Amino acid sequence: MFKWFRPIESAEGMEEMRARVEDMLSEGRHIFDAASNAFLGGADPEVIRDDLFKTDKRINQLEQKVRRQALVHGTVYGTSQLPTCLVLMSIVKDAERIGDYCKNLYDIAAIKPLAKEDPFFADLIDHKNQISGLLEEAIRIYRSQKEDKAKAFLMRGDQMQDQYDANVVKLLGDDHGSKQSAAVILAYRYYKRVTAHLLNIISSLVVPLDELDYFDEDRMTRD
Amino acid sequence: MGPTAQQRLVRVAAVIGFLIAFLVGVKLLGASFKMVGKDTAKNLFDGLTNPFAGLAVGILATVLVQSSSVTTAVVVGLVGDGQISVGHAVPVIMGANIGTSVTNTLVSLGHITRSAEFRRAFAGATMHDFFNLITVIVLLPIELATGFLQKSATALTTMFAGSSGVTYKSPIKEFIGSIAKWFIKLVEGVGLEGWWAAAVALAIGLALIVVSLIFITKIMRSLLAGRLEQSLNRVLGRSGIIGMGVGIVITVAVQSSSVTTSLLIPLIGAGILSLEVAFPITLGANIGTTVTALLAAMAADKTSGLTIALVHLLFNITGILLVYPFPPLRRIPIRLAEGLGSMAVRNRLLVLAYILTVFVVVPLLGVLIFRG
Repeated sequence: MFKWFRPIESAEGMEEMRARVEDMLSEGRHIFDAASNAFLGGADPEVIRDDLFKTDKRINQLEQKVRRQALVHGTVYGTSQLPTCLVLMSIVKDAERIGDYCKNLYDIAAIKPLAKEDPFFADLIDHKNQISGLLEEAIRIYRSQKEDKAKAFLMRGDQMQDQYDANVVKLLGDDHGSKQSAAVILAYRYYKRVTAHLLNIISSLVVPLDELDYFDEDRMTRD
Repeated sequence: MGPTAQQRLVRVAAVIGFLIAFLVGVKLLGASFKMVGKDTAKNLFDGLTNPFAGLAVGILATVLVQSSSVTTAVVVGLVGDGQISVGHAVPVIMGANIGTSVTNTLVSLGHITRSAEFRRAFAGATMHDFFNLITVIVLLPIELATGFLQKSATALTTMFAGSSGVTYKSPIKEFIGSIAKWFIKLVEGVGLEGWWAAAVALAIGLALIVVSLIFITKIMRSLLAGRLEQSLNRVLGRSGIIGMGVGIVITVAVQSSSVTTSLLIPLIGAGILSLEVAFPITLGANIGTTVTALLAAMAADKTSGLTIALVHLLFNITGILLVYPFPPLRRIPIRLAEGLGSMAVRNRLLVLAYILTVFVVVPLLGVLIFRG
């Protein structure tokens, strides 16, 4: 009898929120490429400044929009939709943080882009391309909600984070040969954070709600 | 046909069924009083001849059943069967408007442990109370002095259905009447007579009204969840006529202003819906809720049932026209509610005192004093 009172779920509200998360990731890719290009000399920091900050603003607005919609969704559908709304609240924060780290990277670029002669230049270019591809792939996986693809994505992200850590360890030593080691360490650090936030978003497809955000910290213990 | 489409179809059929049950309930209500004789019924409702007693009864009855729709449907049933006059029923209808706002005020208590949230939520709930109180304070004396609502509603009734007070026929009414007669025969068939038969018929009528409205509201809400979500998303951050339209549409659809106004409270509490934006939605809910009385009038014997239902509609439209077009006046209920919200956060006991005073103590005293 009481199943009659259960709201007939309309996919529209949820689809709209998911589409906004995808928009955030798409904007995230744009701001990441822009900030990386500024740091790695592919674009003049002054020229892209406006676009970069406007993109960040759009990401923030999308986050707020999803939060509002999630609250409305929870209010209308009640407790049955509570987990979904909480997951959305959490992952839009991750998507928003990607924009913040890209701004941090841009701040370094605005002071001094990395010289092409730096021994880590090629590696950073390679990682920039990988993360940019990861952002694109994250949109596809999030749209498909496929668990097997999410797991493969998470493994790849883990490996990339290990590489950043290894490079940072190298940079903390004496014989790295980089004249801009502080900037390079920060760049690896921001790349790692961008990757970690992406992994958090995709981990929402496979991990329980309470383990969100702790995904990268727990990787030593998970199989 | 997919499972969702099937679910929808079954639920729509259920709503139609409950709507018929609701109309049968309204019909049975009037019929049950006829069974005890005109004089007995007249004595029962004598207390309502005092408008303040009528107002207090309207508030109390609505607070008790948590639904102005039930109160107004019962009033339409009684007026439509000639048990009480339109004039005496007007204050009861106004009281129902005040009583219905207790539901969202109670909903706002869910936020009581978080100060900032509660201040907003309580203000969001009580701005509806203040608006309804202000419109009654202004319009009841004017109505008592001039009878403008009753006269306007009578004129509209004459225009739509012929002279007010006359008996009219319609196929729906005939159908509803035949089911109600079957119920009465059933009651009399088990050997009940006079008062007992009337009491059982009355109980069945009231039960049908209450249960039908509960089911209609819940099923319609379940059916229209997606639309509700879309409407609320659309209205966030916008104010004015769009909000009022959304309030009307949602309330007509779910047959309950309390559902509409209560949905707003968590959004106001969270701060994503401002009082200024929520205010016209609640006003729209006031208009939307009058549809229940208009539906109930379909079951009434006399056109006076339609007249009192139209009084309900005109009262709410007049209240809005009196306050909403003028920004300084529009801000009065909002500012009063904000003030009360701030006071409530400082002293939580005030919340209890406010609810008990406005919705229980004052109306109870009103009944005791003015009923004579």
